[in-house]
Amino acid sequence: MNSRKIHALVTLALGMATIMPGNAQVQFGPITGDAENGKKLYYEQGCYGCHGYQGIGRKNLANDVSGIMFSEEVFLIYLRARADLNPMLPSQDMPHYPESSLSDEQAKDIYAYIRTFKDTPPPVDEIPSLQTILDDVANEKGEGSK
Amino acid sequence: MQKTPKDTKPKLSRREFLGTGAAAGAASLLPAGQVSSAAESTAAERPVLAAPSAAQMARETGAARPPAKIDRIVHKPVSDLMVQVLRDLQIEFVASNPGSSFEGLQESIINYGETPNVMPEFISALHEESAVDMAHGYARCEGKPICALIQGTIGLQHAAMAIYQAFCGQAPVIILVGRDDKHFLQAHTADDVAAIVRPYTKWDAHPKTPAETLSAIQEAYRQSVTPPCGPVVVVLDSEIQKEDAGTLAVPEFVPPAIAGISQRQAESIAASLLKARNPRLHVGRLRTPEGIKLAVRLAEEVGASVDTRATSGPMSFPQRHPLAGPGDNDDYDFELGLERPATHVSIVGPGLRTLDDRDITGVNLGVVRTPRTAQHKPAGQNDIVADAEASLSLLIDAVHRQRTASNAQVVRSRTQRYANANHEARVALVEEAVEAARAGWEASPISLARIYAELWPLIRELDWCLASPSIFSGRHHVNLWNHDKPYSYLGSHPASALGYGLGASAGAALAARDRNRIVLNIQGDGDFNYTPGAMWTAAHHKLPMLTIMHNNRAWHMELMYLQYTAGVRGRGTDRAHIGTTFRDPYIDYAKLAAGYGVQGEGPISDPELLGPALARGVAAVQNGEPYLIDVLTQPR
Repeated sequence: MNSRKIHALVTLALGMATIMPGNAQVQFGPITGDAENGKKLYYEQGCYGCHGYQGIGRKNLANDVSGIMFSEEVFLIYLRARADLNPMLPSQDMPHYPESSLSDEQAKDIYAYIRTFKDTPPPVDEIPSLQTILDDVANEKGEGSK
Repeated sequence: MQKTPKDTKPKLSRREFLGTGAAAGAASLLPAGQVSSAAESTAAERPVLAAPSAAQMARETGAARPPAKIDRIVHKPVSDLMVQVLRDLQIEFVASNPGSSFEGLQESIINYGETPNVMPEFISALHEESAVDMAHGYARCEGKPICALIQGTIGLQHAAMAIYQAFCGQAPVIILVGRDDKHFLQAHTADDVAAIVRPYTKWDAHPKTPAETLSAIQEAYRQSVTPPCGPVVVVLDSEIQKEDAGTLAVPEFVPPAIAGISQRQAESIAASLLKARNPRLHVGRLRTPEGIKLAVRLAEEVGASVDTRATSGPMSFPQRHPLAGPGDNDDYDFELGLERPATHVSIVGPGLRTLDDRDITGVNLGVVRTPRTAQHKPAGQNDIVADAEASLSLLIDAVHRQRTASNAQVVRSRTQRYANANHEARVALVEEAVEAARAGWEASPISLARIYAELWPLIRELDWCLASPSIFSGRHHVNLWNHDKPYSYLGSHPASALGYGLGASAGAALAARDRNRIVLNIQGDGDFNYTPGAMWTAAHHKLPMLTIMHNNRAWHMELMYLQYTAGVRGRGTDRAHIGTTFRDPYIDYAKLAAGYGVQGEGPISDPELLGPALARGVAAVQNGEPYLIDVLTQPR
């Protein structure tokens, strides 16, 4: 696959990411990997660093909200298309994962594990601290300086 | 130099001593049956053995007391006057790790005056970096300096990183450095001690006489609080500290004259503000709480919407003031910046200069030097290099003079419109922040947003200060909390360097201790481990500092950097934890706290246990005790 096709697919995937949240119509692809092994790899490869231990972090993955999780194929293309050429500045972006460092099978295992992430927090009115924060701002008309 | 009074009585030589009755006392100490060789001499030479005197007996039994006044005592050391200077300047604290070149000054701090060790109070720090960070944290809260007292070359090198941080943060901090030129350890002294930190201090002096020393401390205060504010150094010779002051008195203090805009500029800006249909203020970091009051008055007088930096650092406009926000439209026709860039006019104080641009003439001459006028690179055509806070009274007066009945009515009308619009904008921002905080609410390890959210109901009615940088913990306070005080949030590490948060929080807690305020320190684990000894300072001085560990067991940013680099090189990210994480073993912060005498608990990873732990922590600090809660968190 040439770089233009990769770019096209990644663009498609990222585009999907923008339309995914709350869209229950979109069907994600099948899962063929081993989620149990994926759990181990998710930790070893440090995926939790940006995506949290349950898929909520700097870049959320839980609840199938990310386009890069649309299918195993898209996920693999995304992992294999991250490299910059010897960047001089440090970066906190998504690292590059060539097959030499993470096989397709391993990547699919990680994919399978990520697809298990479901975040189902209570509604705000069942979380007293968050409700207090909302009430405080709703009830104020600006207190002025103190 | 005046000499210390000395005993002028003739002293006995060793030979004369042995030939007098003075030897009798010595002989009487010998056990029975033992006779000194002197006693074996001829009877004519033999001293008369007499019963011990009352004074000798008192010494024998340990009941002897020194006379109330003897000539060998220095009754009025110069260091007492140094303390008086600090007291007159309302310096509340001197944070210090003890050394051997300022025991004169330290003794005066703890013993001089009717209420010794108050204004200033000697604060024990376990590391000089902590001492300076404390002074930095205090300065950010109060907009005025306290002192760090540092030992010669060795202490100053320990302190250097924190001084650099204070320099980058333009914080008024006074660093007093003890110097003993006749020190038994020459490595502790140098001809020009301040040279070690000169590239990142605003000003320094090495006075050579007692009178110069008192003046230099006063000048150090003026320099530190005069824009550009910054850390300053005074080198204090040990001998001068210990000299008798004689008739020397504390010189009268002349407050700094801080330049604002001109009268003509004030009239012009006031006219523009009153003429504008939609005026806007951009308020950055002012110098003192007084500046904030003036900024609020100006905004209210002209009915301007305000862009505030209160969620980014200290000393800015109250976040939820009715005028804080975008107003009812963003078609601003006159924008004024106060320590911030703005489209039309910016009043911005001078910046600190680097060593290359510093006046270092006279550094070794002990003279009090005034730096040349600082250069400031204009941000815009209408940039005015002047202190915004010092300009505000002039501006307000000009607005009063120019205000008419008709524009007063306009101001009232738009103030109400802006207040309504700002409130709506604020509610929308908070709703968005609350929804974001809800994600991962029940996750374990615990989400950082949950820490901030659970804290709010516990502190909302209290006077609080968030002293720790929040850049690595998600900045969730920005919209979940209300920043309405000069010290609500003290901002990030000015030099982006770790090791600052704990010391700065302890300094903020020094400011808070006697002001019925509490300090919140949401503390990164990487940052904590540079100078954990500040925990002991908090325990020892009973500082109301609640430390909540953001324990992600890593220098997390560096972990991500390493992951990315390994990825670029196609080598995999599975070894990026090497050198970037705290594993094998994990660090137990509650035990560390306990070791320093701070009550604590954790590690907590169950989110249901977080709220009750935070409640216990807030209760503890309200009772004047530091507290630590170790929370295992999501990485970011």
